Amino acid sequence: MKRIILAAALCLAALPARADRVRPVTDPETLAACGECHMAFQPAFLPARSWTRMMGQLSGHFGDNAAMAADKAERIRQVLVAGAADTGGGKAGSKALRGVGQYDTPQRITELPRFAAKHQRIAEREWKRPEVTSKANCPACHKAAEAGLYDDD
Amino acid sequence: MSARWEFRLLRLWHAALAGGFLVAYVTADEDTYAMHVFSGYWVVAAILLRLLLALAGSGGGPLALPKPRLTWIRPGRNPLFAWMAVLLLAGMAVAGVSGIAADFIPFVEDLHEGLAEASLWLVLAHAAVIAWIFQGRRVREMLKGSAAALLAVVLLAAPAAFAADAARDAVKAGYARQAGPGFAGFSSERGKALFESRNAASPDYASCTTCHTADPAAEGRHAKTGRAIKPVAVSANPKRFTDVAKVEERFERDCQTVLGRVCSATEKGDYIAYMESK
Ligand code: HEC
Ligand code: HEC
Ligand code: HEC
Repeated sequence: MKRIILAAALCLAALPARADRVRPVTDPETLAACGECHMAFQPAFLPARSWTRMMGQLSGHFGDNAAMAADKAERIRQVLVAGAADTGGGKAGSKALRGVGQYDTPQRITELPRFAAKHQRIAEREWKRPEVTSKANCPACHKAAEAGLYDDD
Repeated sequence: MSARWEFRLLRLWHAALAGGFLVAYVTADEDTYAMHVFSGYWVVAAILLRLLLALAGSGGGPLALPKPRLTWIRPGRNPLFAWMAVLLLAGMAVAGVSGIAADFIPFVEDLHEGLAEASLWLVLAHAAVIAWIFQGRRVREMLKGSAAALLAVVLLAAPAAFAADAARDAVKAGYARQAGPGFAGFSSERGKALFESRNAASPDYASCTTCHTADPAAEGRHAKTGRAIKPVAVSANPKRFTDVAKVEERFERDCQTVLGRVCSATEKGDYIAYMESK
């Protein structure tokens, strides 16, 4: 019986391991705070300097107010910086940084050259669909985006 | 061959097939492609071998392949066993062969992947059926045990609902205290008016309903990002307004964004009272 359970567990554990994965956010505080208004984007999509800048200006966050207690913002900044494209972001991180200047501090994942290249075939009409609403709504098209899987379609 | 040896051979074969399938399944990724191909051929070879073994074994012995029948001739094995074997072998065989074919004919790949997924579920179902039959009592007792655990969870969850109410009452009591001397209770009508009010402070968000929708019991949607927002009505979402820090943070932001000013303690309590009434 134990062996059967083990085999079943192995099979299930193997499912996500089968695809190229962007390391998802696991820190509960970051998941809650950055996952309210949109999905909690993987830190590997932006360099550390970008996250630091973003976390310093949360009250003007892409036209919205995402202000939070200073100590909380600092803890989250550390989580983001640790997993950033140029620190702990791994393969996905280096890919995201393609075409980004060494001193640029991009704020939008959706304006990275790599994002543009990967999504150039998508028609304007597709972005405007009501279920999509915004380019930043990754899970509308990538069902497993929050688990870090983007090559699913 | 004696029946005992046939049984041993059958066991060995079963291990080879199961192992091969598992390895093939787990290595389906691009970087382990070589192993995947090897184990795929292994599975197909194992199935061919099984057919040969059936010829070599004694008639009616452990290695014989019983014909799947629709009726149960008692005494004898339940015909479902034969059907299960046929289904498993056929599923894996076609999955394997289509995998080999996919190297030459690309569109077979979808069939291959679909069948491989389906076969995994068949294998798991097969394991569950066998476990149920041969270790039935133990499995049933385990399930009974988990039913008891489930009951315990339900019993524990009921007080949790009370705890949520208590936490929300504490949040409201905090706002009542902040409201000061002239405070004369919260009003769900005023809360409703605030929730539905139209404002000019933000070009994007005219009202709380822009994101939370006009029906508090319905799921909302962030108007700019498209992100789903859980219902705000307490009846639809008992966890609402139970975490002071979150409630304060959101009132802070959402009032500033929509109304262009902070909300007073009374307004916050009114809002919660309205959501409790829905
Ligand atoms: C109050 C709501 C809110 C919160 C909380 C919030 N954001 Fe945002 N965020 C937005 C909005 C609105 C946008 C713009 C989305 C758009 O243009 O489609 C945005 C955009 C972004 C983008 C750019 C997306 C793109 O277009 O590539 C990043 C990155 C981002 N947020 C990170 C964060 C992080 C990290 C946190 C947690 C500290 C956070 N956000 C918390 C509302 C929020
Ligand atoms: C309108 C739907 C849509 C939205 C929204 C969208 N994507 Fe995509 N994305 C696609 C499609 C379709 C592809 C596949 C393009 C291809 O293979 O040519 C893709 C490809 C990708 C890839 C490359 C995957 C690979 O390895 O092949 C990444 C990474 C990615 N998207 C990330 C994101 C992120 C991050 C977001 C949100 C900030 C996002 N996408 C939002 C449709 C979308
Ligand atoms: C831009 C979209 C948007 C608008 C407009 C908006 N909210 Fe929110 N609100 C959110 C999001 C996103 C959340 C967090 C997600 C969640 O709690 O499910 C939230 C959560 C809240 C919470 C926290 C509830 C809890 O359970 O702790 C309160 C309180 C709240 N909103 C009040 C308001 C009020 C009052 C208004 C109008 C003045 C308003 N909101 C308008 C997006 C919005």
